[in-house]
Amino acid sequence: MTDDKLLIEQLLNPKTQRRAFETLVRQYSEQLYWQIRRFVLSHDDANDVLQNVFIKVWQGLGSFHGDSKLLTWLSRIAINESLDFLRRQKNVISISTDDEEIGVANTLMADDYFDGDETEAQLQEAIASLPEVQRTVFLLRYYDDMKYSDISKMLGTSEGALKASYHIAVKKISDFFKSHD
Amino acid sequence: MMKEELYIRSRMGDKNPFRVPEGYFDSFAAGIMEKLPEQEKPVRKSLIIRLRPLMYAAACLMVAIFTVAVYFSDSDAASPEVATVTTPTESYVDDAADYLMADNMDIYACLASEY
Repeated sequence: MTDDKLLIEQLLNPKTQRRAFETLVRQYSEQLYWQIRRFVLSHDDANDVLQNVFIKVWQGLGSFHGDSKLLTWLSRIAINESLDFLRRQKNVISISTDDEEIGVANTLMADDYFDGDETEAQLQEAIASLPEVQRTVFLLRYYDDMKYSDISKMLGTSEGALKASYHIAVKKISDFFKSHD
Repeated sequence: MMKEELYIRSRMGDKNPFRVPEGYFDSFAAGIMEKLPEQEKPVRKSLIIRLRPLMYAAACLMVAIFTVAVYFSDSDAASPEVATVTTPTESYVDDAADYLMADNMDIYACLASEY
């Protein structure tokens, strides 16, 4: 029996589920954190979203039937939570126009938990300016090397459409760099 | 890999520009375990609640049967029917009055006279 199968069995058993859940958090929190952080960019926001993800996972344990891999299920929840967070944040920013003028790159350069240089901050700004699907597929392919089939299951979008979105995203980001050279 | 993707990788590399506070991942699990709400236990539905759909179906069936029965009985009533109305004759009324006034002795006498 694989580790995941055993863990799932323990998660579904009321007697062992609390301890199994702690194992799940220890095993997957770091991987999920980085997925979320690339979407929301700031550590505090990533921490909030990650906590919400695990609370949702805990509350939804009964709905996991083992049809997909545990990591795929967790990533799906993490990405949906991240996108929900960004949508809410966008609404808040659209009310307060001052924040929008600061820009992602400048915000990152002032962040204590961002070690990149200005070019890296600009890359993050370019990624943040992409439409939702392009941004999601770019982050999952470029950094996590995730398969199109897994992203397709996660987002409910066809593989063909995802491939097209990825190509457009890559083109936009490379054009962004070329224009800044 | 696409030409543009290679270009981005050559510019950016795979270095992660983000970092987290010291010991963040070590303390995260303990923190989240403290915040976990109690797991809601599935509530077992009572027999009546579980049988409710069946009861609704039975009620609908009964209403349907009743409606059909009423419809057909109404259509029977609507068909022309010859009503036989008999007007009691005077002798019948007299006989009935006699019968009602008769006591046991009269009945015995009547029966005895017939044999």
